[in-house]
Amino acid sequence: MRQKQFLQRRYRAMAAYEGLILFLLGLLVICPLSALIVWPQEARQVWWFLLPGGSLAALGALLWWSLRPKEPVSLSTPEGAVIIVFAWAAAMLVGAVPLMGCAGLNFSQAVFEATSGWTTTGLSVVDVTKASHLILLHRSIMQLAGGAGLAILMLAAFGGPLGVGLSAAEGKETQLVPHMRRSTRLVVSIYAAYALTGILALRLAGMDWFDAVNHSFCAVSTGGFSTRPESIGYWNSPLIEAVTIPLMILGNLNFLTTYALLRGKWRAVLRNGEVRLMAFLLPVGISVLFICATAAMFPSLGKSLRVAIFETVSALTTTGYSTVDYKSFNAAATLMLITLMLVGGGICSTAGGIKQFRIYMMWRTLLWEFRRLLLPRNAVSRPQIWGEDSREPVDDASLRQIGVFIFLYLVLFLSGAVLLGVFGFSLSDSLFEFASALGTVGLSVGVTSQTTPSAALWAETLAMLLGRLEFLVVGIGLVKIIQDGRWMVKVVPTSRK
Amino acid sequence: MGICRQTTKRRQVNRVMAKSLFIVVVGCGRLGSLLANGLSGQGHSVVVIDRRAEAFDDLSAEFSGFKVVGDAVESETLRKARAADADCLIAAAEEDNVNLMVAQVAKDVFQVKWVIARVAEPARELAYRQLNIETVSPTSLAGDYVLRSLAQDK
Repeated sequence: MRQKQFLQRRYRAMAAYEGLILFLLGLLVICPLSALIVWPQEARQVWWFLLPGGSLAALGALLWWSLRPKEPVSLSTPEGAVIIVFAWAAAMLVGAVPLMGCAGLNFSQAVFEATSGWTTTGLSVVDVTKASHLILLHRSIMQLAGGAGLAILMLAAFGGPLGVGLSAAEGKETQLVPHMRRSTRLVVSIYAAYALTGILALRLAGMDWFDAVNHSFCAVSTGGFSTRPESIGYWNSPLIEAVTIPLMILGNLNFLTTYALLRGKWRAVLRNGEVRLMAFLLPVGISVLFICATAAMFPSLGKSLRVAIFETVSALTTTGYSTVDYKSFNAAATLMLITLMLVGGGICSTAGGIKQFRIYMMWRTLLWEFRRLLLPRNAVSRPQIWGEDSREPVDDASLRQIGVFIFLYLVLFLSGAVLLGVFGFSLSDSLFEFASALGTVGLSVGVTSQTTPSAALWAETLAMLLGRLEFLVVGIGLVKIIQDGRWMVKVVPTSRK
Repeated sequence: MGICRQTTKRRQVNRVMAKSLFIVVVGCGRLGSLLANGLSGQGHSVVVIDRRAEAFDDLSAEFSGFKVVGDAVESETLRKARAADADCLIAAAEEDNVNLMVAQVAKDVFQVKWVIARVAEPARELAYRQLNIETVSPTSLAGDYVLRSLAQDK
C-alpha cells in the first residue's frame, strides 16, 4: 500500500510536468498560423491547427494547474523516460492532425510525416507542390522544435523539475554550464541564433523569405524538409549550397564543442575527437563520391565537386537535403553514403545516427587493445581522451555501453532493411532507406513516397523514433510504465505454498 | 515572533535565489554532498570536487552541477573546477589541514572572494580568522548547542 501511495504521488508530479510539455506542444502546433498574416486566403485550414493545438495546450495547462507539486520535484531518469515517451507519442499524433486535414494524407502517412518532422529526419510523403504555406511551415517548425528536443525546450521555457532526470532521458545529458536550467537556456539561445543567422544568410543568398525561413529551420535542426520536390537542388545555386553546408555542420556539432568555439577555445575544438573524425570522414566521403559517381555524372568539374561535397555533408550531418537523384549512383558511392548515415552527427547535437563520438571511442579502444597486446602482461594502462583542457580517463563501463549501443543499432538496421526487402525493394534501396530512417537523415532513393505500403511506413516511423530517442529511453520508459502499472492496478496476492 | 523569524528567513532565501552564484564545493562527503544537492536545487551553479569518483554516488537527482575528480590540494584540480570564476568556495573535506590549504589557495591564488572552510578542531578557528577565511566548526556548533540546552533546563 505504501508503495502504491508513493507511486501515486510520483506519477502526479510526472503528469504535471507532462502537462507543461503538452502545453508547449499545443503552442507549437498553433505556431504555423502566424503565416496567415501573409497568406490570409488559407484561413479555411485554421481549425485543423487550432483545434488539436488548442485542446492539447488546454489539456496540458489543466494537468499542470491541477497537479503541480507545491515544491519543485527532482525526477529520476526512468521517470523522465516515461514523460518523454508520452510526450513523443502525443507529438506524433497531434502533429499528424493538420497533415491529415489539409494535406490529404491518410493516418499512417500523416503519423509518418509528423514523426519524420519531430525526429528531424526529413523523409516525406507530402506533395510539397500542392501543400499550403501553413502545412510547409508546420513541417519546418516540427523539425526546429524536435531538433532542440521537447524536454530541453520545456526546461528552458518553464524551468520544470530539478535535476538532470528529464534532459538525460532525452539523450541530452551533457551540460554546458554547471546548472541544468541555465544550460538548457544557453543551448536554446545558441540554437535560435543559428536559425536566425540561417534565415538572413539564405535570404541574402537568393531565396525568398518563406523558403529561407523553412530551409534555415530544417538545416540547423539537421532535419531536411524542403518546400520544393527537388530539395536544395531546385535552386542549383553554389551560393545557397555554400550557405546551407555550414548551417548543417553547425547543427551537427556537439553543443559543447560550439560552446568551446564561442569562448575561443580553439585548442579544445581541434583536439576534440568528433571534430577530428569529421575532418577524416568528410574528405574521404567527398573523394569517394566524386571519383565513383559524380565525376562521370556531370560534364563540368565544378558541378560534380559541388554535388559530392553537398551530399557528403548532408549524409554525415544526418540532414538529408539533396541536390541530385541517387538512382544513378554506383555501389561504392551508395555504400559510402550509407556508411556516413550510419555514423551520423555529433553526440549532444540535433543530429542522429550512431554518433561520431561513439565511433571515435571505438576506434580509440581498438588502438588501446592493440597496444595492450604489445605491452608486458602486467602493465597497467589507463585509457584517456582529451576533454576540454585536460586528458580525461575513460572507464570501461562507458565503453561497454557504447559497444552495446552500436550492436543494437546495427541489429535494428539490418532487421529493418530485411523488412523493407520483404516489401519488394532491392537490397541497396532497403539498406539505404532504412539507414536514412534510423539515422534520422532523410535522404531517399525513392522507397518512401505517396505510394509506399503503410506497413513499410510504420516500420520507418518506429525506426525514426527509436533512432532519435536512442532506443534505451523508449525501453526504460515502457518497462517502468508496465512495472508501476502492476502496482497501481491491483496488488495481486502471490500464492504461497 | 516565530512567524516573524520565518518570514525573514524566507526573504533571505529569496534574496539568494534572485542572484544565482557560482559555487565550488570541495569534498563530497556527508557535508559536501548535502551542500551540493541543496545549492544546486536552489538554482546555483555548483561544481563539486572529490578525490574518489564513488563519492559522487551520494549526490541526489536534485543535483545538476559538474563533478570533478581530483585532489583539491593540487591547484590544477581547482583550475579544472574553474575556481577563478567562483563567487564562493566551500572547503568541506574531512581533514582540517586539507581544508585550510584549499581555502588559502582559493583565497590567495584564485582570488575567490568568499571562502568558507569547515574546521573540526575549534582551536584552529583563530588561525583561519587571521587568514580572513570564514569558518564553520561542527564541533563547536554541537558543543554550543548542548551547553545552551543544558543552561535552559536549569
